[in-house]
Amino acid sequence: MNYMPGTASLIQDIDKKHLVLLRDGRTLIGFLRSIDQFANLVLHQTVERIHVGKKYGDIPRGIFVVRGENVVLLGEIDLEKESDTLLQQVSIEEILEEQRVELQAKQESEKLKVQALKERGLAVPRADTLDEY
Amino acid sequence: MQKKAACPFKRRPQWGAACLKPSSGRSSPCACAPHGRAEGVTSCACARGGACAAGPERAARSLRAGGAAAAAAAAMFRYPSLEECPLDEEEDGFQALGEEDEDIDQFNDDTFGAGAVDDDWQEAHERLAELEEKPMGSRQQAAPSSEDAELLGEPEDALAERLTRLVIESELEDPAIMRAVHTRGPGAQTMALNTSIWDGPSVLQRIRTPLLTQEMPSVSVLDYALPQRPPQAREEERDPSERALPRRSSSPIIGSPPVRAVPIGTPPKQAAMPNFNQQILCPKPVHIRATMQQRYSAPYGERMSPNQLCNVPNSSLLGHPFPTSVSPVLTHLQRAQLLGGAQAGRISPSQFARVSGLVGSPLPSVNPKLLQGRVGQMMAPTGGFRAFFGAGPAPPSQPQPPPGPVPHLQGLRPQPFRPDTTHLHPQHRRLLHQRQQQNRNQHRGLNGSVGDRGGHRGSHQEQARKDPYANLMLQREKDWVSKIQMMQLQSTDPYLDDYYYQNYFQKLEKLSAAEEDGPKKERTKLITPQVAKLEHTYKPVQFEGSLGKLTVSSVNNPRKMIDAVVTSRGEDDETKEKQVRDKRRQTLVTIEKTYSLLLDVEDYERRYLLSLEGERPALMGERKQKICNMYDNLRGKAPGQERPSDDHFMQIMCIRKGKRLVARILPFLSPEQAADVLLATARNLPFLIKKDAQDEVLPCLLRPFSHVLYHLPLGTVTSLVQQLTNLPQSAAAPATTNLHLATVLQNKFGLSLLYLVLSRGEELQSMDGGTELMQDNQWTELMLLATRELLRVPPTALPKPVPPPSNLLSLFSRYVDQQKLNLLQTKLQM
Repeated sequence: MNYMPGTASLIQDIDKKHLVLLRDGRTLIGFLRSIDQFANLVLHQTVERIHVGKKYGDIPRGIFVVRGENVVLLGEIDLEKESDTLLQQVSIEEILEEQRVELQAKQESEKLKVQALKERGLAVPRADTLDEY
Repeated sequence: MQKKAACPFKRRPQWGAACLKPSSGRSSPCACAPHGRAEGVTSCACARGGACAAGPERAARSLRAGGAAAAAAAAMFRYPSLEECPLDEEEDGFQALGEEDEDIDQFNDDTFGAGAVDDDWQEAHERLAELEEKPMGSRQQAAPSSEDAELLGEPEDALAERLTRLVIESELEDPAIMRAVHTRGPGAQTMALNTSIWDGPSVLQRIRTPLLTQEMPSVSVLDYALPQRPPQAREEERDPSERALPRRSSSPIIGSPPVRAVPIGTPPKQAAMPNFNQQILCPKPVHIRATMQQRYSAPYGERMSPNQLCNVPNSSLLGHPFPTSVSPVLTHLQRAQLLGGAQAGRISPSQFARVSGLVGSPLPSVNPKLLQGRVGQMMAPTGGFRAFFGAGPAPPSQPQPPPGPVPHLQGLRPQPFRPDTTHLHPQHRRLLHQRQQQNRNQHRGLNGSVGDRGGHRGSHQEQARKDPYANLMLQREKDWVSKIQMMQLQSTDPYLDDYYYQNYFQKLEKLSAAEEDGPKKERTKLITPQVAKLEHTYKPVQFEGSLGKLTVSSVNNPRKMIDAVVTSRGEDDETKEKQVRDKRRQTLVTIEKTYSLLLDVEDYERRYLLSLEGERPALMGERKQKICNMYDNLRGKAPGQERPSDDHFMQIMCIRKGKRLVARILPFLSPEQAADVLLATARNLPFLIKKDAQDEVLPCLLRPFSHVLYHLPLGTVTSLVQQLTNLPQSAAAPATTNLHLATVLQNKFGLSLLYLVLSRGEELQSMDGGTELMQDNQWTELMLLATRELLRVPPTALPKPVPPPSNLLSLFSRYVDQQKLNLLQTKLQM
């Protein structure tokens, strides 16, 4: 039964594996079990996937209930194509370490940038209300 | 007036409102007066007289328990309205009550034991239950969830039978339970068992009594102190990716699920109908204070949700000075009820009380604390009480867990058939059972709808069938969500609200109609209900009899806060930049106004089709008027015949949006007006080209220009060419400095326009047979000059991909000889 032709509705996506990108930058992968009119999601057997460079690591999280306003986008995962990825899976510890390193590098470069701007008397551009990442 | 006959109830404000007046001298002496202060009873409902016949014991008992509010509630029960309750006049009655506290034995059997069961309360409840069942019975037929009842009907009937059987074997022999079991109606089970928050409130209200009766058959804990079930071994071999949920240090609800290696969400190995009744039968009675029953019975008719109860001063959910050992139970219960109430929104406190009350005393052997986890299990695994089923078998955190029965309970699995599900959410559990049925019925429909995606989904459907967690979201719930989404799409004017969707589908339909490939895959269009537009005229509120006009400001009638006065500045003190800016702003405003007119005009066709016959001339007139307005806006409203300056038009054309506006307006203009626009454009083309360097929007004008050109007579075309090429120049000017033409030629748009015009001229020439043309020397001259110029232009200056129209070759062939023709040909890449 085609629920609402010509519209975008999550009803057809229920019970399928999805990748959800949240506003704070997290990537969740799980089975979409339930929705509501605000696009609040219930994800089952959720895994949080951290991507750093060409590597990724999965942290199993269980059941997630995501408030709809925090979702940036979500898309169904084609189970057949899921394994054809160029990315390399690593362990959780390794990926967390990589993430930490990446974050540190970003912070240092940011610091340098701010320093350079200050030396030139320019203001630091602030992105106050943008999302986290 | 007895000083001591202070209101015993004031002392405990949280018990709230009903304050019974002490038997003052107003009425006949209270028959309970002999009980006196020792009981703490100096006043009771019997102050009213006559009602005390059966009262004294009860009142005494309840007060002994400190259940002052309970007595008050009982009194309330007798007196339908609070006003009838005698109010205490003495303010210092509470001190007296404080002294009575010590007298009250809060642990005695009357309070917490079998004696706590109150016949009166029972009868009252039954009376009300009958009242309820009458309308509910009528509503039953119209149950929207009848199909859900169908699904569960069969198992629930079997359930009923098993319940009856079990009750007989009950060890409790609680008279209340027995009575309640017998009064349970046969049709009660099938009613709205599958309700949830997704249903409307009417369905949920039906949950109340029938469900309660099923709770009656509470079986002794010991019956269910079964050892660890065998399937637990199976749990260990779970999918390793399902890691354990983070351990919870404290559980918010009763009997949180036992911490285990396997996460909660793991599907059961077995799903069987018999498990249903097993769940029902495994209720662990909770040791609840009997006074709570009486308290609950009062607001029976009010149907307060637990959330409300918390706020109501008389709420029994709130703290009551029970001894500490008992308080955890209450706390958990309170929380459970809160959760349950929050979810179902309709749990009547009386139901809960009934549950608790039944289980009251008759389990002296089992430690109450251990049983608290089971309160949820007492209720049927149906909608309204789902949260209760979150209770797991084992108590999560107990201050003093008794050693003995603990192992029993902690290892308790009420049914050996199904592993692991007692801790599951009741809805989950129910759905696990239903899944078999539903998967059979529904999985086709749902997964089959993916057919849009093509055949490769076949394997996916295969997986979906094996997915034990599929259809957690019921069909009903999906319908509910889609219903909401559809409601959001209702609109009074879909062309206004959802313009792009409507247009898109129109385009699609046109395409498919044009193709006419036979019955192609029909693109189903979402038919949104069209709500009639209702005109509401708002009249601001006027008060009668008020002196003067009272201004009541509301959203429809906002108050004027600021007096904004527009002051136009004087011309002289403006700087040049400001003037320029203002002029630009004015142009922008003109563009916007003209755009609105344009959108209206474009919409007229659709409105024409929708309108009635009589209205159509009026519509046409409006349309014409608007077109004229548009043109006036474009060219500047010069009242004179001659349009002396293109200035206004040029201003518009300098702005990107203005150019697009002109392109869209052109089809609506009359030929003369359109030609006028064309000429103006051609005349000022170099200027425009210069201004367009950044936007590069001029080419959008090509198409409407070509359409216009198609209808132009030769004279106009000639003048066009003249304007474009700025020929003939004065004889004195050297031939190389025709900047106008040079600029035109170097710009893609200019060149294309020139080609178009020339091609049109050629068409006319070839069509006409030459009679008119031969007489027109101007054209010939122009062409000669033009070709000469074209020859002179260095080829590199020409913009590259401008395919000239095909008939230009024949055009040029008239005016130049073969050699030059070849030159032209190569240059212009014809």
